Amino acid sequence: MSARTWRRGRYALAVVAAAAAIAVTVVAFARPGPSPRGAFPVLHAAAAPAGWRHLRLPNGTAVLSYSPSLRPVAGDKDAVSAARLSPAGAFQLYLNATPRQGAERLRNWAAFRLRLLRSDDAVSAREVAAAQGVRFRGGTGSCVIDGYVTRIGAHHYDEIACLVQGRTSASVIVGAAPAAAWARARPLLLRAVAAYLVR
Amino acid sequence: MTILAARVKEFQRHPRLLALPAAAGLAIALAACGSSGSPSAKPTGAAHSHPHSAPAHAAKPPAQTANPIPQGNGGDHDADNNGGPSDGDGNI
Repeated sequence: MSARTWRRGRYALAVVAAAAAIAVTVVAFARPGPSPRGAFPVLHAAAAPAGWRHLRLPNGTAVLSYSPSLRPVAGDKDAVSAARLSPAGAFQLYLNATPRQGAERLRNWAAFRLRLLRSDDAVSAREVAAAQGVRFRGGTGSCVIDGYVTRIGAHHYDEIACLVQGRTSASVIVGAAPAAAWARARPLLLRAVAAYLVR
Repeated sequence: MTILAARVKEFQRHPRLLALPAAAGLAIALAACGSSGSPSAKPTGAAHSHPHSAPAHAAKPPAQTANPIPQGNGGDHDADNNGGPSDGDGNI
């Protein structure tokens, strides 16, 4: 075999190896990996827009503001809720405020909320983003944005849930919407959360 | 023809050279297989359905923590007892 033939063979092999390396690299980078946690949106605590309505917690420690496109709905005796329902009765938007009742604390809020969802309402729950030290009207809170699937009906919801500590009390505000409508619902829900007033 | 014959002869003399393209092909195939079948990050599909309807199938219940609120409209009056969004209660 001549030296020329040998060089050609080596060149061909090098081209094949380089092409393979490029292909492997491209495929590896194109593979979807685990979703990184997203950045939590900035909440600007501010009074609700004119025309919004308000629900005060029965114990008087917080005020939930909601758009007039929602209406109050029944819930626990110590809580307040407002929702927009479809003609068929499906939840399109949901807001709830409830006094702190369990072992939730600002430092463990995101983990607590996900654990609660999984143990009570949901077959699965995943965190999207979380934040601590969020400023509220009258207090400071920890928030989590997550998605979950209900045990009953297998409905997919996304939510923002915040534990808010005021001067004298703590409470939870939840804003939720069907996952398929979350992008559209999110600005209004964040606005309601930003308007949440605690003592 | 003479070039092809020369390469065939070259591989016959150096069979190890055949391993490189084979390994490269295997690597590409493995990488391509690994890129398929990943679940969608965002659940979809059931959001429009009626939240008060009965579950279509019984899902295996997750491990319970202490003092769970009974589902199926029991315990309290939350929407979440009927498949609606979860409220802010502390599981009490």
